[in-house]
Amino acid sequence: MTNHTRPFTLTAIAAAMCTAFITAQAAENNEISALTNPDSTIQFGLGYVDSDNGRFGQYNGLNEKGAYGLLDADIVKRDDANGRWLKFRARNLGLDNRELRFEHEIQGNWGYYVDFSQTPRYEPYTVNTAVTGIGSNSLTIPTSPVTTGSAVQLKTKREAIGLGFNKYISDTLDFKVTFKNEEKDGARLWARGTSSTAGIPVTMLGRFEFMPEPINSTTRQLEAILSYTGDRLQLSGGYYGTMYNNQYNAIFITGGNPVFSGTNFINPVALPPDNHSHQLHLSGGYNFTNTARGTFKVAYARAKQEDSFLTAAQLTPATPVAAGLPANLGARVDTTLAQLGFSARPMPKLSVRANLRYEDRDDKTPLFRYGNPTAGNSTYDGFNEPRSIRTTSGKIEASYALPMALRLTGGIDYDEKHRNTSILRSVSFRNKTDETAYRVELRRSMSETITGAVAYIHSDRGGSPFLFNTTLNGGAGSNQLAPLHLADRKRETMRLTANWQPADPLSLQFRFDQSKDSYKGDRDGSGIGIKNGEAFNYTVDASYNFSERWQATAWYSHNATEIERESTTFSESRFLAKSVGLGLRGKPHGKVEVGADVSHGSYYDSYTQRLGSTDSSLPDVTTRTMRVQLFAKYELQKNSGLRLDYIFNRFSTNDWSWTNFTYLDGTTVTQAPVQKVNFLGVSYYYRWQ
Amino acid sequence: MIKRGSALLTLLTGLALALMLATVPQESAAAEKQRKDMVLKGDANCTRCHDESEEVPVLAIGKTKHGTVADGRTPSCASCHGESDTHANKPADAKERPKPTRVFSKKGGTSPDVQNQACLTCHKGGNRMHWETSLHASRDTTCTSCHKVHTQHDKVRDKQQQAQVCFTCHKEQRAQIAKISRHPILEGKVTCSDCHNPHGSAGPKNMVRDNVNDTCYTCHMEKRGPFVRTHQPVQEDCSICHNPHGTTIPNLLKSRSPFLCQQCHEPTGHRDNPASLTGRSTSANTIARGCLNCHTQIHGTNNPADASNERTFRR
Repeated sequence: MTNHTRPFTLTAIAAAMCTAFITAQAAENNEISALTNPDSTIQFGLGYVDSDNGRFGQYNGLNEKGAYGLLDADIVKRDDANGRWLKFRARNLGLDNRELRFEHEIQGNWGYYVDFSQTPRYEPYTVNTAVTGIGSNSLTIPTSPVTTGSAVQLKTKREAIGLGFNKYISDTLDFKVTFKNEEKDGARLWARGTSSTAGIPVTMLGRFEFMPEPINSTTRQLEAILSYTGDRLQLSGGYYGTMYNNQYNAIFITGGNPVFSGTNFINPVALPPDNHSHQLHLSGGYNFTNTARGTFKVAYARAKQEDSFLTAAQLTPATPVAAGLPANLGARVDTTLAQLGFSARPMPKLSVRANLRYEDRDDKTPLFRYGNPTAGNSTYDGFNEPRSIRTTSGKIEASYALPMALRLTGGIDYDEKHRNTSILRSVSFRNKTDETAYRVELRRSMSETITGAVAYIHSDRGGSPFLFNTTLNGGAGSNQLAPLHLADRKRETMRLTANWQPADPLSLQFRFDQSKDSYKGDRDGSGIGIKNGEAFNYTVDASYNFSERWQATAWYSHNATEIERESTTFSESRFLAKSVGLGLRGKPHGKVEVGADVSHGSYYDSYTQRLGSTDSSLPDVTTRTMRVQLFAKYELQKNSGLRLDYIFNRFSTNDWSWTNFTYLDGTTVTQAPVQKVNFLGVSYYYRWQ
Repeated sequence: MIKRGSALLTLLTGLALALMLATVPQESAAAEKQRKDMVLKGDANCTRCHDESEEVPVLAIGKTKHGTVADGRTPSCASCHGESDTHANKPADAKERPKPTRVFSKKGGTSPDVQNQACLTCHKGGNRMHWETSLHASRDTTCTSCHKVHTQHDKVRDKQQQAQVCFTCHKEQRAQIAKISRHPILEGKVTCSDCHNPHGSAGPKNMVRDNVNDTCYTCHMEKRGPFVRTHQPVQEDCSICHNPHGTTIPNLLKSRSPFLCQQCHEPTGHRDNPASLTGRSTSANTIARGCLNCHTQIHGTNNPADASNERTFRR
C-alpha cells in the first residue's frame, strides 16, 4: 500500500494543480482571444410593415404592407499564423436593397473580393394609366382619354456585381484591378408634349402624353492600378475604362392623340446612346523633406459615342433626315488633365499649400448639318453643337501659428473656364469666365475646451464680353440675359464653427454660415435676370453623457436659400428647411441596451411672383417628415440575444405639382398627401469567433 | 513492486510537474502577465496597464488589420504613439503621469500634423496621394477625426454608417440628405465616399474622379453622351442644376421649373411665361414636370431627324 500511496498522492496534487493552472490559463487565453480576435455575427428575424407607402420604402423595398424577412451576417475568420482573412457579409437579404460581399486575402500579399448589390427605386407617385407596354420601347397610347386605366408602380432596379483583385508584388509595388457590372432595369416617369392646339379638348390642362421611359441598360467600369510606394516617392498609374450600353435606342409609339402628327410628330423618341471612355492616368507624390511634399496627376481620357442612329425607316417619312446622314454621331471627347500640388512647412509656425489644375475637355465630334431650318429668325442652323471646356484653377494659402493654439490662414483661389459655342444660339454665352476668391480664417484646432474657426471669403466672377446672338438670316437675336453660371457675380461668405465642452459630460457644436450673391444678370442694362442669391445656415448640436450607461444627443438645423430673378415678372424662390433630431442610447440593465432616434424635418418652398403690383405667387409647398426609430437588445447569453426594432415614419405634403393634372391620354399621377407607416422587426443575433 | 497503473500515474505526475515547471516562470503569474505581449510586437509595456478594464482599452486592435501580426508590416504601439518612456515609467517627481509621445485627440497636445504623420508613415500614396494638399489636411482634420483604430468596426468604413461620421462636421449635408429628393444615403446604398475621396484628389471638392461630371457618370453614364443636341450646362457641370445632397424638388433639382430654366434662358416667347398652375400648352411650365413636360430630353438627344423639335430636346 505504501508503495502505492505516495505516487497517487503526488499525482493527485500535481493533477489538481495542473488542472487549476491550465483552467486558469485557458480562461485567460479565452478572455484574451475574445478581446483580440475578430468577431462574427449573424442576425435574422421578421419584420412587418403595416401599410402601403410611397416614401418610406422608396429605396429599401418596404413599400408594401406585409411581412419581410430580416437577415444580416458578418462572418470574419482570420488565420493568425499567416494573416489569411475570410470575410462574408450579407445585409438586408430579405429586402430589395440586399448586399452580399465575399473577401479572401492574405494580408500584405494578395486578396480578392466578389460583391453584389441591389438598389431599388420605387417611384413615390402612383400612376393610373391605360398606356401599355411600360418598361419596353414599344408603347401604345390611347388615342383619346381613358380614365379607367390601372394603377402602375413605376420603379427601377440596379443590380451590380463587383470583382476585385490586389497583389503586393514587393515591398514597394502593388497592383489592383476592380471591375463593376451594373444592370439597371425598369421604367421612369416621362412624357411627350406638343404646343399644338389642334384637336385638343379645352378641358384638358396640357397637351402632354404619358410616355414612361424604359430603363434597360448596362454600365461597366474597369480599373487597373499599379502603385509604387517608396519612402519619399509614391507613384500610382493605371487605366480606367467605362462603358454604357442601352438595350433600347428609342421609344416607338403606337396610337396617341392625333395632335402628335405633322410637325408635332414626336415619334420615335430617342433614348440615351451607348458610349464608352478610356483613361490612362498617373499620379504621384514626392517628399522633398520631412515637411515639404509635391504631388501631381496627369491623365488622358478619350470618350466616344458611336451608337447607330435611328434609321430613316424608323424615323418614318414624317420626319426626314438630312442628306448624307452619317451612321452615327462619331462623337469623341478627349480630356487632358494635369494637376500639381505642393505643401510645405518652411518654418515651424508657417505652412503653405498650393494647387494648380488644368483640364482640357476637347470635344472633337465632327460637325454635320442634321437640321435644315428655313425660318430666317431661327436661332438654330441645324449643326450639332460640340462642347469644349478648358479649365485652369489654382489655389495658394499660407497658415501661421499664433499663440493660444490659434492658426491664421489666408488664401487665394482662382478658377478660369474657356468654353466654345455654336455660331447660332438661343441662350447668351461668353467664351470665358474667371473667378477669384480671397479667404482669411482664424482657427483653433487643439484645446481642452473650445475649438473652432471663423472665416471670411470674398469672390468675384467676371469674364469675357458676351457674344452677340444672331438669327439664321443674320438679324439680331435676343441679347438680354446672362445665364446663372456665366453671369458676373460677387459672393461674400462668412463661416463660424465652434466646438465647446463646458463640462466633461456636455459637448456643444455650433455651425453658422451665410453667403450672399450679387449677380449682374442682364446684358443690356435693363436689370432683368438673376439678381441676388443668399444661403443662410446654422446648426446647433449637443451631446450629454448622463453616465457611462446613458448618453443623449440633440441637434437643430436651419437651412435657407433664396434667389431673385427679374423679368416681365419678378420672382423669388425661397427654400427653408428646419430639422431637428434627438437621440438616446442607454443600458438600463446589464443585459439590456436601448436606443431611440427621433427626427423631424419641415420644408417650406415659397415662390413669390409679381407682375408689376399684381401678385401671382404660387401657393407655398410645405412638406414634413418625421421618423421615430427605437430599438432594444436583450442579451440572452453573452454572445446572443434578441433585438426589437420599431420605426414610425410620417410624410405629409401639400405639393400641388400633380394635383388636378391629367395627361391627354387620361393618365393621372398622384401621391397620398399624408403617409404614415409603422415597421416592427424582431430578430435574433448570435456572435462568435 | 509498483503496479503498472501506479507507474502510469507516476509518469503522468512527472509529466504534469514537468509541464508546470516548463510553463510557470519563476515570477508570479501576475508578473508574467505584465511581461507577455498580447497582440502587437512589444505591447507588453503598454498592456500591463491598458487592458479592457482600463480607461483607454486597446486590445481590440487585435481584431483589426493592424493587429494581424502575421503581416510583418503591422505596427507596434510605439510605431503610432511613440516610445512614451515617461508615460510608461512615471518620473518620481511628476504629479501626474505624462501623456504618451503622440496622443490622438484634440486634447492631447499633439499637433494634427504630427498625429497624421504617424499614419502617413505607412499609409502613403494610393488613395492618400493628395492628402497633404487637401482641404481636410489644411483644416487640421486628423485621421482619427474619422477613423477608429482600436476597434473591429470602423464606422467610417461601413457604407451604412459612414455618412454619420461625415456629418460630425458637415451639418448642412446632414439636413439635405433627409429631404424628399435625395440619393439613397439613409439606406446605405450611396455614401459620401462614392463621390468624394476625403483623403484628397486631383478633382474639385475631393471628387473621386477628376471632375464633377465624371464622378456623376460612374452611376449616371447615360447622361454623358455626347448627343446630336447637347445642353451646354449638362456637359459642363451637373451641379449647375442639381444638388446631389438633396433638395425638395424631384430629381435633385435646385429649383422648380420654370424658375430654374429661366435663370439662363432668354426672356422671349414662352420662355418668359410666368409660373402657372392653370396654364396649358407652353404655359404649363409649373405643373407636373414643368418645362420638361415637353422638353423631356433635357440632358440631350441623339435623334438625328431633321425637325425642329429635336433641337429643343423633345424627341
